[in-house]
Amino acid sequence: MNTLLEVSGVSVSFDGFKAINNLSIQIGEPELHAVIGPNGAGKTTFMDILTGKTKPDEGRVIWGERSVSLLEMSESQIAQEGIGRKFQKPTVFEAQTVRENIAMALKNPRRPFDLLFKRRADDAEARVRAISDEIGLSDALDQTSGALSHGQKQWLEIGMLLAQDPRLLLVDEPAAGMSPAEREHTTDLLVRAAKTRAVVVVEHDMEFVRRLNCKVTVLHQGSVLAEGSLDHVTKNQDVVDVYLGR
Amino acid sequence: MRHVFLALIMLFGATLAASAQTLQPIIQSHVEEIASPSRNSVGVALDDLVASGLPQVTDFLEQWVEKNVWQSGDGTFFIAAETDNVLTLTDIDTGEQRTAPAEGFTQLKPNGGVRRVIGTALVQFQLSDPDLTRRETAVASIARRPEAAQMAPLLASIDGETDAALKTRKIQLANLLSARFAQTPTDRIAAIDSLATDTSVEVRAVLNQILSTSSGVALSEPDSNTAAIIDPFLEPDVSYATLVEAGLAPARQTAAEIKGALEANIVDGRIGGLPLVQMDNPDARVAAYGALAADGKVPELITESARDAALSSHLFFELYDEPNPDITQAAENALASVETRVAAAQTVDLTLDALSLASIFFLAAIGLAITFGVMGVINMAHGEFIMMGAYTGYVVQLFIPNYTVSILVALPLAFAVTFAAGVVMERLVIRRLYHRPLETLLATFGISIALQQIAKNVFGTQARPLTSPDWLAGAWIVNDVIQISFIRIAIFVMALIFLALIIYILKRTRLGLEVRAVTQNPGMASSMGINPNRINMMTFGLGSGIAGIAGVAIGLYAKVTSEMGSDYIVQSFMTVVVGGVGNVWGTLAGAAMIGFGQKGIEWLNPSNTLAAQTYMILFVILFIQFRPKGIVALKGRAAGD
Amino acid sequence: MERSFFAKNPSALWFLLGLSLFTIVVTILSEASGTALISTSFLKTLGKTLCLCLVAIAMDVVWGYCGILSLGHFAFFGIGGYAIGMWLMYARTAEIVVTSLENATLPPTPDEITNAIGGQIFGVVGSSDFPVIWAFSHSLTLQLLAVVLVPGLLALVFGWLAFRSRVTGVYLSILTQAMTLALSLYFFQNDTGLRGNNGLSGLQNIPGLEAQSQATVSLWLFWASAVALGAGYVLFAWIVSGKLGSVIRAIRDNEARVRFLGYHVEGYKLFVFTITAIVAGIAGALYYPQAGIINPAEIAPIASIYLAVWVAIGGRGRLYGAVIGAAVVSLMSSWFTGGGAPDINLGFYVINWTDWWLVLLGLTFVAVTLFFPKGIGGLFDLLQKRKGDAP
Repeated sequence: MNTLLEVSGVSVSFDGFKAINNLSIQIGEPELHAVIGPNGAGKTTFMDILTGKTKPDEGRVIWGERSVSLLEMSESQIAQEGIGRKFQKPTVFEAQTVRENIAMALKNPRRPFDLLFKRRADDAEARVRAISDEIGLSDALDQTSGALSHGQKQWLEIGMLLAQDPRLLLVDEPAAGMSPAEREHTTDLLVRAAKTRAVVVVEHDMEFVRRLNCKVTVLHQGSVLAEGSLDHVTKNQDVVDVYLGR
Repeated sequence: MRHVFLALIMLFGATLAASAQTLQPIIQSHVEEIASPSRNSVGVALDDLVASGLPQVTDFLEQWVEKNVWQSGDGTFFIAAETDNVLTLTDIDTGEQRTAPAEGFTQLKPNGGVRRVIGTALVQFQLSDPDLTRRETAVASIARRPEAAQMAPLLASIDGETDAALKTRKIQLANLLSARFAQTPTDRIAAIDSLATDTSVEVRAVLNQILSTSSGVALSEPDSNTAAIIDPFLEPDVSYATLVEAGLAPARQTAAEIKGALEANIVDGRIGGLPLVQMDNPDARVAAYGALAADGKVPELITESARDAALSSHLFFELYDEPNPDITQAAENALASVETRVAAAQTVDLTLDALSLASIFFLAAIGLAITFGVMGVINMAHGEFIMMGAYTGYVVQLFIPNYTVSILVALPLAFAVTFAAGVVMERLVIRRLYHRPLETLLATFGISIALQQIAKNVFGTQARPLTSPDWLAGAWIVNDVIQISFIRIAIFVMALIFLALIIYILKRTRLGLEVRAVTQNPGMASSMGINPNRINMMTFGLGSGIAGIAGVAIGLYAKVTSEMGSDYIVQSFMTVVVGGVGNVWGTLAGAAMIGFGQKGIEWLNPSNTLAAQTYMILFVILFIQFRPKGIVALKGRAAGD
Repeated sequence: MERSFFAKNPSALWFLLGLSLFTIVVTILSEASGTALISTSFLKTLGKTLCLCLVAIAMDVVWGYCGILSLGHFAFFGIGGYAIGMWLMYARTAEIVVTSLENATLPPTPDEITNAIGGQIFGVVGSSDFPVIWAFSHSLTLQLLAVVLVPGLLALVFGWLAFRSRVTGVYLSILTQAMTLALSLYFFQNDTGLRGNNGLSGLQNIPGLEAQSQATVSLWLFWASAVALGAGYVLFAWIVSGKLGSVIRAIRDNEARVRFLGYHVEGYKLFVFTITAIVAGIAGALYYPQAGIINPAEIAPIASIYLAVWVAIGGRGRLYGAVIGAAVVSLMSSWFTGGGAPDINLGFYVINWTDWWLVLLGLTFVAVTLFFPKGIGGLFDLLQKRKGDAP
């Protein structure tokens, strides 16, 4: 397992409030990694930093074999480097069909004139089908995605992430609002995806994390409180105090 | 400075001593000069009249100027008024009155030049007249038309002056006159030096008169008070014209003259041997003209090199009309000092101007800033609310003729009218479009178009006046450079009051607390029992109401038209955008920046206010590059994305 | 699964058919063909309306598809008009000047000709010198290039500045409005060199076509406008229908999400903003020779607002909606304000439509925004639905 992403000494504050405080974390490839923590622990801000939405006040974020810094890149450049993000609230393009949504996410040249003049890659349709099979939406390809159920939208969003073919997948509370069956499906998707790439799951729901059966990092007040297997961290007294004990 | 004119009083005081008791004999000794005076001859007569020092002289001279002096057949002069060919005669010395038929009497009608000379002589009497108004008129007339002869009487009248303000004015005027007309250079220089701290237009005019120059040209530098040597090649054509004027060089032919000469010398379709068809080439024209000159038919062409040769063989200079270099030097120094002070005063004036412009922008924008900050709603009809407020003021003045009362009524009424309009608009339109900001923008556009046209239909297209009360009509005049109209001061004060009021409402009242809660987190606010609909309605009403008051304020110094809103709307938006959304201080900073920026650009390019606005907008667009969230930006999560 | 362009865009096919039919009918009825059922002045109105439709679809693409409510596209339209107007005015004045100088005693020098032209054109602003921006006015080719390049570059620079600083939504709208105001103020100044508020006039006289009657020239310009509208429609239909269109609409709906998909959102917006500005410029260059006169008031911010009004009333997010909106509203506007509509006598007050049309338009616009966000184009959806419901 190689190190894909290295976050070291990152801090960021909003109006004096330290959302992230000297955070260091390493993600390998392939790896399934869960980040848990109470509200306000800095989970979402942590993802914002990785994807370029928020610039930290200090610290380094180093990516890949060439050890490039992600801090100088824009959101779209980071996405093109191979970091995909799934938001807490499903954000698919509701006015467009499932097919269009997936096709937009496919890993292809992304400049305007490429889209206008280059013929589509021949395998595009095949890839769209493969992904829709994987997320169980092959029957709904020509449906407007606004008409999908909440869970289907979550899967479509994960499907769009897979279409991007990222090396690192950031998933924010994927199981929120899902039925037990849908949760199981989602777990399978994530575990399967993590066989070939790095997947970081930010979760609130302990049961869901237990089912992922992976390395866990507990965040508290913007820094790492404990790291290890779920069993390991749940035995940690600090973790029990700040999180589980409540 | 005082001793300068004290010395002069001593000198001239003696000549005013009295020596006779009746005026008629003195007049009779100058019958010729008085009965048919000319500008040159009347002086002798006046000198004698003045020298007599008689109290009657003032009256006589005044009546003479007014053409009320008549001469009887026997040569006696009377002051007389004519009605229906009958004269009411007044004896010059005794004041005795009688009537007589006009036949046999001749009216004295001195011409304009003579009247001016008499006026000058009269001044010395008027300067010491017991009536203050007369004295002031005399001083003003000297200031209007300063002459050397008035210096002595002016100086003589200073010590006896009882009115303090007029005395100061007389001393100032005496200095001005001394600077130009005092007899010794020392006195003049002393007077000039005393002017160095005065920034009035008068002083600058006097100094510039002393420093007046005339340009000259010669083969070598003249032996007089030279102001500057001019490089003739800076403006070669102008310098050459000087040369021609001095008769030192032949005039250059203009293009039209050359053309005329060519046209006059067409022989068989040829000019100077060159065919006519080639004349569309400027070089051929020169060649043809050269050929004509060689034949002696036209004067030699003065080419550019000939011009330059003539220029370099002469010396061009500016000469002071004042021959004494010490005096011009003193005047230069005084003028430099005056100009430094004027520049400083202009800076202050510009700052005041910018401040008042900033207060107008603040008043126009603050309502917009509140609605935008609290509700995220851009109200494109905001400008029309300003207009509505202004028209409210106009209508109030139709019913209440007293301007002070009408303004006092108009301000709250304008607030009420636009508050109501804002609430109606919020309930009917804005409320249905929350979370669709672009659509709100569009719908309010529609309202703005309709309101503007309705105003046009009701009030017509011509501008309506909104008259300010008399006590606001003047200007606060610090000196000749710094002056600011009371209306602008009033607007500035009004802006301050509203700043304080809004901050009070937002920080100290229940409404303000609820407004801030809704601004920061609408969801949380509503779960705590705050009714966001009510808050939004109140906020929108408040923002619109302030626009109405701004309308009255703007209407007082600009005209009220149906389009006045659109004149301010873009600047108001700029103010909000530059200042940063959702913060009163931000709007204040934005207004200050736009106001000062615009005035600053106007100062750099004074002839063109359109250009100032253009550049200001470009500046704002660039400014947004560096501070996309404005000067006072909300930071962190509250700002959202 | 490649399908032909028209198979994917049936509306484009219908539109082209309709436009061709309309052009043919108008041609047959025009004065130039002899039937003269359509007067030349009305023909010009129709031609101008086609140009307005073209700028409206550009506005629709930038706003309805990409979500940028630009309040500056009519300024680009005006700039296109000015660019072509400079050539028209120069060339036409040059012809007149050369003719008038033909009988001069001396054949005129080039300088004399230039000065005479300058005096004719800039006399109204008290000058006879050619400003720098007129340097290319003698060349039709260069001014045609300016029709495309000036709005294009302006949009490129402005868009680059605005988009890179992530100005969006109403902020962006206000900024574009400020740009428009700055432009119109700039054009209003005498020392800009574009004759201040006099604008450029006499543009209906096309140099080189004096032999043709206005009826014929107007018909030709009408054809040119129709061709431009058709080409513009196809161009934009092609842009918004493919994967590019998918990304553009996605940007409208959720810009941040598109960014996280790895698309350089600013580049896309800039592309759309610039290409629509160029099309707006071309539309303007066709419009003003038919209008005959252009002045800075045409560029004022309110004109761009009306453009948004047309698109909103027609139905944004569909190209034919923009065409319908522009055509219906602008034709109705000239009917109402031209005194065509009968006054309504309420007994106590007579509604004179010349005065009240703008009130009606403003309120209609508010109503459309509130109750029919899909505009007139939305009616087609209802029709289709009913057809679908029918057995």
